[in-house]
Amino acid sequence: MTPIQMTFSTMFLLGLMGLTFHRTHLLSALLCLESMMLSLFLATSLWALQLSTINIATVPMLLLAFSACEASSGLALLVATARTHGSDHMQNLNLLQC
Amino acid sequence: MSYLVCVLLFGLMVGSVGVAWNPSPYFAAMGLVMVSGVGCGVLICFGGSFLPLVFFLIYLGGMMVVFAFSAALSAEPYPYGWGNRSVKMYVAAYVLGVGCAWKVLLGKWSGFWGGILDESGELLVLRGDMMGVAAMHDVAGWMLVLGGLGLLLTLFVVLELVRGVSRGGLRTV
Repeated sequence: MTPIQMTFSTMFLLGLMGLTFHRTHLLSALLCLESMMLSLFLATSLWALQLSTINIATVPMLLLAFSACEASSGLALLVATARTHGSDHMQNLNLLQC
Repeated sequence: MSYLVCVLLFGLMVGSVGVAWNPSPYFAAMGLVMVSGVGCGVLICFGGSFLPLVFFLIYLGGMMVVFAFSAALSAEPYPYGWGNRSVKMYVAAYVLGVGCAWKVLLGKWSGFWGGILDESGELLVLRGDMMGVAAMHDVAGWMLVLGGLGLLLTLFVVLELVRGVSRGGLRTV
């Protein structure tokens, strides 16, 4: 594997691990999700630049647009959590716990 | 030039470890700012001109600003810092894991991986990625319309999620 592919693959896996093992705040999980999206943007941009397939350059732009949708939905959920539970601590989200 | 790319890739890795194991969301946002700045540099090193600019303006200037002021919702009086004992242990574990993965999987790579591929051989004003993004308005016009409709839908989703009183996503407190 070349170092560049290794870099953005590792960035994606690190963000995924941060999302899985987040400890206290919901916002930390959302920021790890953003880092995953960032690694995908880098990967598709480097695809367009390195292989000179310039039509693929539309993919990072559309990826950015849809990830803005996802980030705003996540932040709306964060605001809703902060308004009902008082903070965004993950241990307060226990309505489904038996 | 390939040494510069190496340094920037190292900066990407350091920032990603910082985001993945953050003591507090403030430091995760700072790590994301660093990663996007360094990623912009990587794209510039590979010949991109428009995509790094989009990255800085839209991602950093648009989305990160919103995350930065949303961090006020997760405010604590005494947030953890990087020097906290549990944080240091986990960051060391992540760095060791990444180092072992690199040693095992990279091995001996061959080929010219750090150079810029430039087909025309002359200095052009209109670079490749700018032409690719222009294709989004020309050939992929319907995808642009779909993206705009998706963003409009997201606006209504967000408004419904934070609506209070009777019909919304918030319980009455």
